[in-house]
Amino acid sequence: MRVMDSDDIVEIIVRHIRDVVPELADHPIGRDDAMADLGVDSIERGEIVVATLEDLGLDIPLVQLHGPRNIGELADLLHDKRAA
Amino acid sequence: MTSARPEAGAPLAVTGLGAACGLGHGTAALLEGLLAGRDVFGVLARPGRQAPDGSSRFLGVEMPDPPSVLPPRLARTVGLPGLAAAAVVAEAWHEAGLDAVAPERVGLVVGGSNLMGRDQVLAARRYGDRPAYVPPRHAHAVLDTDLCGVLCAAFPVRGFAHTVGAASASGAVAVLEAAAAVRAGRVDACIAVGALQDPSWLDLQALTALGAMGSSRFADAPGRACRPMDADHDGFLYGEASAALVVQRAEEATAAPCGLILGGAEVVDGQRGPEPDTAAQVRAARLALEAAGLTAADIDTVNGHATGTPRGDWAELETYRTLGLRHARINATKSVIGHGLAAAGAIEIAAVLLQMRAGRLHPTRNLDTPLDADFRWVRGEAADHAIRRALKLSFGFGGINTALVLGAPDHA
Repeated sequence: MRVMDSDDIVEIIVRHIRDVVPELADHPIGRDDAMADLGVDSIERGEIVVATLEDLGLDIPLVQLHGPRNIGELADLLHDKRAA
Repeated sequence: MTSARPEAGAPLAVTGLGAACGLGHGTAALLEGLLAGRDVFGVLARPGRQAPDGSSRFLGVEMPDPPSVLPPRLARTVGLPGLAAAAVVAEAWHEAGLDAVAPERVGLVVGGSNLMGRDQVLAARRYGDRPAYVPPRHAHAVLDTDLCGVLCAAFPVRGFAHTVGAASASGAVAVLEAAAAVRAGRVDACIAVGALQDPSWLDLQALTALGAMGSSRFADAPGRACRPMDADHDGFLYGEASAALVVQRAEEATAAPCGLILGGAEVVDGQRGPEPDTAAQVRAARLALEAAGLTAADIDTVNGHATGTPRGDWAELETYRTLGLRHARINATKSVIGHGLAAAGAIEIAAVLLQMRAGRLHPTRNLDTPLDADFRWVRGEAADHAIRRALKLSFGFGGINTALVLGAPDHA
């Protein structure tokens, strides 16, 4: 089994973004996008992050995940937490 | 008594109705199912309505999925009470033509408290052993007032919005509060919503333990179990319901009224729990009649609270006797759609107004042996009847008693 990398985590995040904001179903979303710029509000961001944590089996307080400026940085951070 | 006339003044118009229950969605489905006396009772099957040990088997009525009137992004975050509320408000809004009223002059009163019991039990089950994954939205989505938030996000209501709690009288109190707000000039149109109260197995088990909820006697015959005012009654049965009514001053109505609110009153009797109180029921009815400038002799139709609990039915019968209502036709809407709890008063007021428009009264299901055969019950089949002035009673745990007097649109 291949080890999950940061791009795999981006894919999970993007899937949850599309679930939470159905308007973005066909909108291209990548590592460099910030959720706020996509129109995701703060409660929706929380839902997306919690759902991603659940998929990854990570148990991290949300306050530790406020730093990343875009989806790629969030995926990198989650990847590092997972490896730790 | 002149100091206590809570609803005195000119009649108010109800210009829009919306309804959702086991008979289907929309007022047409409600009226048609009521007049047919359709049997929609069964075993409650929604997730969260069964005890974890599998011992429970609650009878009642569940509704079809509400039609989607919310944008998908909002709808996915809203539970059953909010989806039902949005559907009934959309229907009432359209009928009343509320787009013609400035949003700042439209108010909203949502009747009901502790509405989200099932969602809370489901969340506890799902996240109890992994609290880190509790979605942040849970914090506001399980508040009763989230219904106000959802409705005001979906509809241009920019006057005021809040909830009122009065147990099973919540829907009726929402209508009284909406009427008061319009009468006082706070808004020009006010939407009263009877919210879908969404109980978990825990709530249902407690209501059964209390002796309020049936049915042990008809456990294997759900269609025969709900029997308000019948000798074989053994408790109420829950029925999912929600309703919306738009109240306006008659001279400012933006649509033809479906009926008038001639008077109304709420009084409390000092009971903390579920015990009914005939004296307070009579007092509420007399205050409502006085506000309407009428007496019991003027009432041609009674739609009771009539849940099917033995003590409640007997106390209410004594109220009918004391008021002198032997001349009026009487039916019990809970016999067809179950007890909507917070929504009951609102959907039953809507049911009265729909029967008024139809000139027909729905039968009271399962009223095989009336507790008192000398009242003019509607049973068996629907009956032709022109409602001119109807008395609607709604009561709630905690000693809450309400009465409304409803009039035909051409009541002068």
